[in-house]
Amino acid sequence: MQKKIIWQIIKKLILYVLLTGATILMSFPLFWMISSSLKTIEETNSAGIVWVPKAPTLQAYIDIFQNANFMRSYFNSTFFVAVAMVGTLISIAAVAYAFSRVEWPGRNLVFFLMLSTMMIPPQALIVPQYVFFNKLNWVGTFNPIIIPGYFAGGAAMIFLLRQSMAQIPKELDESAFMDGASHIQIWWEVIMPLMKAPIATISTFLFVGLWNSLLAPLMYLQTVDLYTLPVFVSTLYNINQTVQPWPTIMAAAVLTTVPLMIVFFFAQRFILESVVMTGLK
Amino acid sequence: MMSNPYFNALLTAAGAIIFILATSYGLGVFASWMAKRRGATAKVQENTFAGYLFAAPWIVGFIIFVIIPLVFSLYWSFTDYRVISSDPPQWVGFENYSNLILNDDGFRQSIVNTLYLTVLGLPLQISVALLLAVLLNQKLKGERVFRMAFYLPVILGFNTAVLLCWRLMLNTGTGIINQIIRGLTQAFPPFGYLNRAAIYLQEISSAFFLGISNGNFNLLNKVIEAGFPAEVRVPLWVQSPLWSKMSVVLLMVWGCGTMMLIFLAGLNNIPKELNEAAEVDGATKWKQFWKISLPLLSPHIFYNLVVGMINALQIFEPIFVLYRDNGPLVPSAISMVYYLWQASFSHFEIGYGSAISWIILIIILVITFVQFRMQDRWVTYDLY
Repeated sequence: MQKKIIWQIIKKLILYVLLTGATILMSFPLFWMISSSLKTIEETNSAGIVWVPKAPTLQAYIDIFQNANFMRSYFNSTFFVAVAMVGTLISIAAVAYAFSRVEWPGRNLVFFLMLSTMMIPPQALIVPQYVFFNKLNWVGTFNPIIIPGYFAGGAAMIFLLRQSMAQIPKELDESAFMDGASHIQIWWEVIMPLMKAPIATISTFLFVGLWNSLLAPLMYLQTVDLYTLPVFVSTLYNINQTVQPWPTIMAAAVLTTVPLMIVFFFAQRFILESVVMTGLK
Repeated sequence: MMSNPYFNALLTAAGAIIFILATSYGLGVFASWMAKRRGATAKVQENTFAGYLFAAPWIVGFIIFVIIPLVFSLYWSFTDYRVISSDPPQWVGFENYSNLILNDDGFRQSIVNTLYLTVLGLPLQISVALLLAVLLNQKLKGERVFRMAFYLPVILGFNTAVLLCWRLMLNTGTGIINQIIRGLTQAFPPFGYLNRAAIYLQEISSAFFLGISNGNFNLLNKVIEAGFPAEVRVPLWVQSPLWSKMSVVLLMVWGCGTMMLIFLAGLNNIPKELNEAAEVDGATKWKQFWKISLPLLSPHIFYNLVVGMINALQIFEPIFVLYRDNGPLVPSAISMVYYLWQASFSHFEIGYGSAISWIILIIILVITFVQFRMQDRWVTYDLY
């Protein structure tokens, strides 16, 4: 009996060692990013391992804050993500309501069509969309990376919200109907207040996706004063430079990832569950 | 014309909202009028109006941003359309497609690179995801924290900022990864042999794939002639065409959090009674894993395989950050989407780019179709 208990303790210990080791490996790039941002250029290029800088310096942060283009791209990212998210969230909520709370002819067909668009890779559409936005004179503006979302962009997110909305008992809107409420009132005043958790999940995915997006901003924001963070930060590293300013690049990287970390920290209990439901990234 | 780009964006957003409201209302009115003509009751008419009103943003967006672009790009893929020239597109038939498949080296390289990622990268990624899921499934205290840490790379992974950190870590001479490898080799000689064996295997397989994409196996012969790597060898991550794809594999393995969560859900769904019954019959944990868990996880493995393959076709950010402007390395690393971007937007050859888009689309549809057809053979147990 005692032997069994000891064996169990050893087994647990081994598991914890493995899990901790994996955690260290997985979060190592994050540690290295922060550590490197506090180093001098010599330390980032040193032949020996410098785990943490001997004399941490905030010089890289001072440099990056003085870079007007970086500050501008930070503002650009915040602006574009905020404006894109508002419209995308509201339109997704409206469409999810149509698919879950209203009976209308053709609903199943349209729903099936929507699900099947998940198979179309967004990149397969970039070439014709570029031509379209070019005709509208939208190349070189924020419009092409904001406006498509307003048309309920994101089939997986509509699906996620629809599943949650469909679980609300029908009696709720029926009694509201009796009181003379319209569909718009029911949507906004009865259903939406119950959707806080799924909306939080969707907002997180939207935020992460938009904050990290590179391909579309790269194609459409052609001047440095419009660059979003991922586009601008990628220009800091340039293969033709003889010495890469690694501490500055890493300071920019830390500042870029801080919003992601904050959002993930608060939303992780929502997202970890819904990833499985929809296979969202 | 100098105008404020932010104000301009807000104005266009407001315009888009008005457009959406107008088309939604119009669609709703039209649909309820159609319902009325068919003799529907007032209640049905009202619901039809509301349904189309609420669903209209998606329906209108689907037509503008999916259907019309798809139709146009299908047409353009048979023409020599270029966005800069003012000439109307000329019909060229299947020329773009036949050029892509028969003559285009870059396109062939991108397909072979995707194949490398699928054949060598995906199994690694899936195994690590499965291992992490099995570890987490032991229901230890603090599982949440570990799960968070394993999923975090998915959130961060494709931001250029984090990819640049990888670029720093992967430096051949001074990068931390190679420094750790050197340190371990000195401190612990058996590790050195392991390292060199891994380098040898990696370089042979990579040279083999490069050979397929060039049709020239000289490099493979050279690697084999050079024999077992010397004692001081370290991986040449972002320096050599032999290693450029392995660096991407490393990033894929690091970002395996989504796959891990899917395996975790699968493991949670396995009825406890099965393992308990096996335990009574005297099966070891090891045997239980291979004979019970793994077969029951097969649908999840297959799902991850298919999704992973589609993602490999679409990898863009890591290649952009690690290899942009690095001429000699680009061909050895590009994905199909990177090639699409390169081909379409360096010369604005819309016709050619449209043909690439359609090939990518068809490949993805075929993979998805195969997934649906194969599912019956793979799903050994109805889990949901």
